[in-house]
Amino acid sequence: MGSLENLVTQIQGLSGSIEDIAHLHNILRLADESLHSESSALSAVLDQVDPAKHSLGYLYILEAFTSGPVSKEQALTLVPILARFINCCDAQQIRLAHDKFVSVCKRFKDHVLLIESPLRGVSPMRTAVRKLQTTSEHLTTIHPDFLLLCLLSKSYKIGLSVLEDDIFDVDQPRDLFLYCYYGGMICIGQKRFRKALELLHNVVTAPMNVINAIAVEAYKKYILVSLIHYGQFSTSLPKYASSAAQRNLKNFCQPYIELATTYSSGKIAELEAYVLTNREKFDNDKNLGLVKQVVSSMYKHNIQRLTQTYLTLSLQDIANTVQLGSPKEAEMHVLQMIQDGEIFATINQKDGMVRFLEDPEQYKTCQMIEHIDSSIQRIMTLSRKLNAMDEQMSFDPLYLTKVGRERQRFDFDDFDTVPQKFPI
Amino acid sequence: MDFGELKEALASQAYAQIADICDHLMLQVAAEGVAFQEEWPYTIHLLGHIYADDINSARFLWKSIPSSVKESQPEVVAAWKIGQHLWTRDYAAVHEAIHGFDWSQEVKGLVASFAEQYTKRMFRLLSSAYSTISLQDAALFLGMSEDDAANYVLQQGWDVDPPSRMLTVKQQQVVMDQKLDPSKLQRLTEYVFQLEH
Repeated sequence: MGSLENLVTQIQGLSGSIEDIAHLHNILRLADESLHSESSALSAVLDQVDPAKHSLGYLYILEAFTSGPVSKEQALTLVPILARFINCCDAQQIRLAHDKFVSVCKRFKDHVLLIESPLRGVSPMRTAVRKLQTTSEHLTTIHPDFLLLCLLSKSYKIGLSVLEDDIFDVDQPRDLFLYCYYGGMICIGQKRFRKALELLHNVVTAPMNVINAIAVEAYKKYILVSLIHYGQFSTSLPKYASSAAQRNLKNFCQPYIELATTYSSGKIAELEAYVLTNREKFDNDKNLGLVKQVVSSMYKHNIQRLTQTYLTLSLQDIANTVQLGSPKEAEMHVLQMIQDGEIFATINQKDGMVRFLEDPEQYKTCQMIEHIDSSIQRIMTLSRKLNAMDEQMSFDPLYLTKVGRERQRFDFDDFDTVPQKFPI
Repeated sequence: MDFGELKEALASQAYAQIADICDHLMLQVAAEGVAFQEEWPYTIHLLGHIYADDINSARFLWKSIPSSVKESQPEVVAAWKIGQHLWTRDYAAVHEAIHGFDWSQEVKGLVASFAEQYTKRMFRLLSSAYSTISLQDAALFLGMSEDDAANYVLQQGWDVDPPSRMLTVKQQQVVMDQKLDPSKLQRLTEYVFQLEH
């Protein structure tokens, strides 16, 4: 008991300057085991320590206090304590004990799920993510937990705001898998299909020695979103995808690959029949809603294909080609596509005709110039980052030893002292 | 629950911000563990999303509303009806949903503003999507009687052909800024520099 009081006094005394905190950190590390063994006495101690000023000390005590299994009632009391800590803790201090903070946040997420109110955890987790990150380009281990809470509480907008940040630094490669998978699902929920494809693509092509379940599920959704957004899907993965993925992913996603093949035939009836026969499989994967979106996207892509062949077409012909019930239905489809900017056309109700037009964008307006400008700036920043990474890698000892081993004994230049050709 | 910011936004007619204010407040209140569902202004929250044309968020919000609220607050249901028709793109039914309910004092301004905005949006859509359209359809899309619709489009420069009751659309000329200024020169210099290194 005495040691605990001592510890509290030290925490209160040594939380002032940076040197003091480093000293305190050492003391806390040594005291960690004893903290864990005295977990029952800790709730009283917590009250004596201020989570805002003595964040590091509070963190150590809190982590010891919350370790071990909890019941639903216990979770109910713990959730507000954890939330309060996350909201008022000092970011500098908690970053020193990175792993402890991550454990505490993960437990917070587990408790919030246990009491079945994920909405309660969204705002504190967002705060936790921002405090743990060193820059906005840093992916922490708790990013996926935050996104999971967003998904379960249907707070898609706030999840999307975190997804907008580009990631360059990753703590643990495996965090990337879950982050991109959940991120893809959030984008799908907000109908941001292009961004969803980007994220799911990252999961599927990430380095992996063995196939993992996340990559398989991501691939299934990747196929479906690809069909919705582009109207086509290619089974060949890019060269930089791992060989494990290239060999094995397809085998786990057979029904989806066949769906893509049926889709490419362009026949709605066939597609709907295929979906009906395999309905249970899609339902078990919880992808049935997405599959239905794939089916309705076929009308859209079929109409888009017509614009490549015809200048004008009657509504009746559109309805027949695309297998819609009536010219009125065709008119509504075309109108919706015009509203979404997926097609440029004008409908002539008097004659029952649709005239397909060219994209009127001339890329001359100030707005468009700003848009192109900002894209160029982004790419320039990216290019600079890549150059920096390339430089760093070129003097990495591991890389140099590997390259050194594979270099030939004698270069061609070692033999040749006279140039073979003289430029005129 | 402090609804000060929300009330201010409503009073100053800053309707575009309502969705964000409500979202933010809801997360804060939930984090404090307060059981807010019975007193939450779901109608205003839903209408805020609808005003900002974010039907996805409106849908998710509707899904999260407890059934007890759905049963006891008809105004919430009426607000969702608007969102539902926007989701299924039943353009005419949106107008019906707007006018088919006796809105409370709090939300009257918001609904009226949305109705005006929606009619304008529909008109722009019709202008860009149709070269000719029947008066009947136009009236449905704009949520007006056929005579009102005819007057409205005549004012915007369209042609009405009374015997066939067909309207000829006049394309709206949208003027976009095309002036360049000297700062662009600076940026172009930067790009060339970057490309050469």
